[in-house]
Amino acid sequence: MSEFESRGRGGRSGDKDKKDDKGGRRTFFRRRRMCKFCVEKIDYIGYKDVKLLAPFIPERGKIQPRRISGVCATHQRALQTAIKRARQIALVPYTTD
Amino acid sequence: MSAIRQYELIYILPPETSEEAVAELQTQVEAITQKFSATIEKTENWGRRKLAYEIAGNREGVYVLHVINGPAEMTAELDRRLRVFDLVIRHMVVRVDEELAVAERSRVRRKSAMTARRVRRGLPPEPTEQERSRRQEEDDDLDGPEMGFRERGDR
Repeated sequence: MSEFESRGRGGRSGDKDKKDDKGGRRTFFRRRRMCKFCVEKIDYIGYKDVKLLAPFIPERGKIQPRRISGVCATHQRALQTAIKRARQIALVPYTTD
Repeated sequence: MSAIRQYELIYILPPETSEEAVAELQTQVEAITQKFSATIEKTENWGRRKLAYEIAGNREGVYVLHVINGPAEMTAELDRRLRVFDLVIRHMVVRVDEELAVAERSRVRRKSAMTARRVRRGLPPEPTEQERSRRQEEDDDLDGPEMGFRERGDR
């Protein structure tokens, strides 16, 4: 119950996620963050493999930040160069609107 | 004589380019590489592909890929020559040997680590067919969309 009290005067009563009163913010949206490339043991992230890159390119065409995709730093770096190269040769868009 | 490295040359031609013109360009590239006594390891013609964005009024393009083993000076020459050809609407030369070596190294390292681990536990060095199929099943209940990976992120 202490958890409940400590949160009580935070002035969050008007928050839109009021409905999950029990768990607090943490458990509201739990996501398993795992680097896809580590899990699937993909060593080489090539720029020609559009299928591999596509999940990391949201609709807008930007590179998905790793805080969202959960990719580890090493692989995000490799992914970044791969996407940038793929953009140069029009396999992947720079932007879409 | 400088060191031989591996490069990938990729270029895009307009979709209406005839087969002969593609072949002609490929021989030109070969001629350039021969001048530097480089070897073409692989040539891939991807054919017509949709471009992710418009280049010089084209929505589609013919992709050609060459994997070339040659010296660094060659890339400069290739780059210069391809820029001059009107037919080539986009080209790119990338050095790949280092990245591939890194990938190979980590693959080998993982493999040997796995073998060592298995031997220590008194198992055969290679996973058996049975183990492999079981691992597949275990994976299944973890990766569903209900685990909360949201495609669009949380913006």
